[in-house]
Amino acid sequence: MAMIEVERLCKRYGDFDAVRELSFTVEPAEVMGFLGPNGAGKTTTLRILAGFIGATSGRVRIAGHDVASERDAARAAVGYMPESCPLYPEMRVAEYLRYRAELKRVPRGRRRGEVGSAMEATQIADVADLRIGLLSKGYRQRVGLADALLGAPPLLILDEPTSGLDPNQIRQVRALIQQLGAKHTVLISSHILSEIEASCSRVLILARGELVAAGTLAEIRARGGRPVVEVWLGDGVERARRALAALDCVREVRDAPPPELGGACLEVHARSADPAALVAAAEHIARALSEAGVPLRRLAPAVASLEEVFHDLTLAAADAAEDAA
Amino acid sequence: MRGFTAVFKRELFALFVTPVAWFTMTGFLLIQGLHFYLVASHFAAQPELSADSGPVQAFFGGTILLYPPLLIICPVLTMRLFAEERRSGTIEPLMTAPVGAVGVVLGKYCAALFTYALMWAPTLRYVLLASEHGSVDWRVVAAGYLAVVAVGAGYLAIGTMTSALARSQVSAAVLSAMACIGLFVLGIGEFILPDGPAHDLCAYVSVWGQMNDFSRGILDSRRLLYDLTLVALPLYVTVKAVDSWRYE
Repeated sequence: MAMIEVERLCKRYGDFDAVRELSFTVEPAEVMGFLGPNGAGKTTTLRILAGFIGATSGRVRIAGHDVASERDAARAAVGYMPESCPLYPEMRVAEYLRYRAELKRVPRGRRRGEVGSAMEATQIADVADLRIGLLSKGYRQRVGLADALLGAPPLLILDEPTSGLDPNQIRQVRALIQQLGAKHTVLISSHILSEIEASCSRVLILARGELVAAGTLAEIRARGGRPVVEVWLGDGVERARRALAALDCVREVRDAPPPELGGACLEVHARSADPAALVAAAEHIARALSEAGVPLRRLAPAVASLEEVFHDLTLAAADAAEDAA
Repeated sequence: MRGFTAVFKRELFALFVTPVAWFTMTGFLLIQGLHFYLVASHFAAQPELSADSGPVQAFFGGTILLYPPLLIICPVLTMRLFAEERRSGTIEPLMTAPVGAVGVVLGKYCAALFTYALMWAPTLRYVLLASEHGSVDWRVVAAGYLAVVAVGAGYLAIGTMTSALARSQVSAAVLSAMACIGLFVLGIGEFILPDGPAHDLCAYVSVWGQMNDFSRGILDSRRLLYDLTLVALPLYVTVKAVDSWRYE
């Protein structure tokens, strides 16, 4: 049984479609990344999954429970950390977590133990007796994570868990999420790609409320399909251009910024994004250049970075929307 | 009722850990102390007391000093309940826990009601003082306290509702104070309007009339039914409002 099943989910605010016909599933024990630029509908979707707001249409099931008709069972299966992690500043950390444990109906006898182990897992035991209002952003974020862990939910939904943190804190939270992934299914949203790249096995990319891509990172890179061979030459750029233009496997040759150590750089776009074809293209390019007598200093085949794919996918969605309008 | 106890305890904690409850309680007791002092010295100057107009009766309805604190304290006690949670965003973790709207609303409301009742508790000392120096009819005392709690319960329910409907604490407090004062002023119509349906309506909703009756030991079930309506209706609206946030 899938941990999350979303079928044709729509959320409309007046005339504005925040989420349109969204469908996806998340299997147990997956760490799923939820990507998209700001305003793509990530938070809206997560809020619907967590049971904070209702959908306009469509169906959402969490661990087999429908969020609309079996609200409590669905909510009990989710540990949810909202964006920006709102907490009560006047409460002490342990006090707050005990209150949350009671709300989540952790039996009285187990509350202290669960709060203790959640604080240990998120490394906040040292601030257990401090008031939340005094904590730094990094600690507050981890209190939110500890809260999500209470009641041992099989699914964790974390909305931008590293926003506003410094690089060291981001690393800590990321390591923590990786640990949690061993025991929980995790759905984590972000607009920071490196974060998703570091911790997620699969990603969903959302733009303008629509799903524009889904799959493993490798699949999405391949789909983004911008296979490029970067070529660093000594001189003879014109000769090189002519030789490359004659190759079947080359689609286009563009200038790239010149390297620091002198010479020229070209961006050679291959026709196929298939890794084997790209490597073969790189070999053809090397041979063609040496036959043309152009000194070759470096040759690097690469598939577009996730960032470029993200840019292409989300921008394409924006263009399509503008065309439609 | 899921979530009732946890929410109730947290609200009490929030009221007493921040200065709000302490300030209101101190102000309330200062005014009621002064009130009782004035009542007691008035009766001390009178040579003879009749059976149904002693200091206790006067305290619970004979003067106007009882009402202003009531009209201010109830909005202050309830203004944060939902408005603050929505402003700070803590409403999101709260409503995504496995709780029901009824449990959350009643937990918050009962915490305010409990604090309100706690505020009245020290005034029992005044009644004891009066009983040391004269005879006190304890049934009248009980009726008097029942009346202040019943009236306050209605005002607190109105405050809970405005806190859920308003966007900020201040507008919640202003709205509920206006509603309570409106009801209070409507009750004064009983003394101004000529006989007729308008007069009867004003008499029915009159807090003044209720306190007068109860402080003389007259327990009128119609009055209690009215108070109950004033509790149930706003709380019902609050539950509906809290539920509707999920389908916004």
